[in-house]
Amino acid sequence: MQDMNLSDLFVSLTSRIGLNYEFLATGYESQIWRDGFVTTLYLVALLIPVSLIFGLLFAACLTSGKLWLSSPVRGFVELTRNTPTLVQLMFSFLVLNTFVSNLVGGAQNNPLTPFFWVVAVVGLHIAALHAEAIRAGIEAVPASTIEAARGIGFSQFQILRYVEVPLAFRASLPAIVNNLINLVKLTTVGNAIAVSEITYASIMVWTQRDNVVSLMIAILLFFSIINLIVARIGLWVERKLAVPGYGI
Amino acid sequence: MPSMKLATMTSAFALSIFSLMATQASADATLDRIKGRGALTVGVILSGAPFGYIDPKTQEQKGFNIDIAKALAEDLGVKLETVTVTPPNRVQFLQQGKVDLLIANMQYTEDRAKVLDYVPTAYDRAGGAAVVRKDSGLKDWADLKGKPVCVSQGSNYTQPLIEEYGAVVKALPSQPESLLALQGGNCVAAVHVGATVGLLLEDRPEDWKDYAIPFPTELIPSDSVIWLRKGEKDTQTALDNSVKKLHASGKLLEFAKSNRLLNTKFLEEQQKALSASK
Repeated sequence: MQDMNLSDLFVSLTSRIGLNYEFLATGYESQIWRDGFVTTLYLVALLIPVSLIFGLLFAACLTSGKLWLSSPVRGFVELTRNTPTLVQLMFSFLVLNTFVSNLVGGAQNNPLTPFFWVVAVVGLHIAALHAEAIRAGIEAVPASTIEAARGIGFSQFQILRYVEVPLAFRASLPAIVNNLINLVKLTTVGNAIAVSEITYASIMVWTQRDNVVSLMIAILLFFSIINLIVARIGLWVERKLAVPGYGI
Repeated sequence: MPSMKLATMTSAFALSIFSLMATQASADATLDRIKGRGALTVGVILSGAPFGYIDPKTQEQKGFNIDIAKALAEDLGVKLETVTVTPPNRVQFLQQGKVDLLIANMQYTEDRAKVLDYVPTAYDRAGGAAVVRKDSGLKDWADLKGKPVCVSQGSNYTQPLIEEYGAVVKALPSQPESLLALQGGNCVAAVHVGATVGLLLEDRPEDWKDYAIPFPTELIPSDSVIWLRKGEKDTQTALDNSVKKLHASGKLLEFAKSNRLLNTKFLEEQQKALSASK
């Protein structure tokens, strides 16, 4: 009851300055819209770890020096970096997904949802950008440091695990945070394949009620806040991990 | 100092909102502008035959909506300019003055009538039809309960599908994507304007041989009207006269037939009613 009154108050206050949030008093539209915020946050929370894990994996392959490992990853990175994410998403959902359905004998057996495709496409797209950032970091580790590690008997993997990645991660952190901010914004491509994140939910409402300005303000504020938090956390991690005297 | 900055920012923000509002409310003299420029700018949807499409051979825009737009421009004695719009952006194109009016498969709804004005005489009546797989066993709208149904974003079938029939609606950017999603098995039905999907199934029997439109009724049949910015009474009156004339002279019916609209009952009734009242 208290909640009801609050949203009524909000609707009447905002209507005085010419904004229309009347739909909040209705059934399914306000439900879709509220769920939209949750879905976007859920996407962000899922995509950040997914992109980081795959980014690290890709970077490890790229710098492994083994052609059979690095060349397929290099091919994937080039493909995903150089094509629009929206096109990748439409292609995955409308073409690859249909192909998978045919393989498993009908769409009813296909467990892949639009949500999965957004996570896969956006996650791997940002992972490719992470990989390039981390690769730059790995290549910035001084050759003498690696030589020293090899000198005390580290294997190739141990060098990666204990020497290269910790230093490379610090060097590439600003670029990675940049990618993560981009990732938060990229979740909005989900609206093209009916994943009910916040822009999809807003389109559903404003195509019926034509209150575009009101909803745009809410979307812009929402993403500003998320990204402010992501950037702040990034900065905090950067400071926390700083190696005194190393310069990064 | 920081509070000063905040105040400036707030006022700049308020100002930008205000100017957005202002563009929506201004430009009352559309009819004068149309005559002054000698051109009528119409927002049309080119989502496929019979309403609006691009002829693959001549690259010209064709369809029922285009024919109506041409006839209206002719009646006003000006030339026609068309702007392609889509369901998610059409109202903004109108409100921001990028087009003078919309002939864009937009049916009359009470919510729309609150923010826009419309030409009272409808140029068609259209309802939604559901394309489903023949082997799906779906027989009527009620069978869609709890099932994924594709529509295009901005479709006015969303609300009745959710509220009356309990379907799980997936809105894709436009009709072609929605139909592809149906073929890909991402939804059990695609609901669009009846005439469009009916013609599609007829024209491309190979691609659509596993699909049918089995439901006996159309979803919320409602009047297709021409939409205008709020408060443009002169334009409204002028266009209403033109549409009435097109009904009475049988031209609308002719357009419908030449564009192969499947159901012309409404247009026949209107022609009779309006030509009798003359």
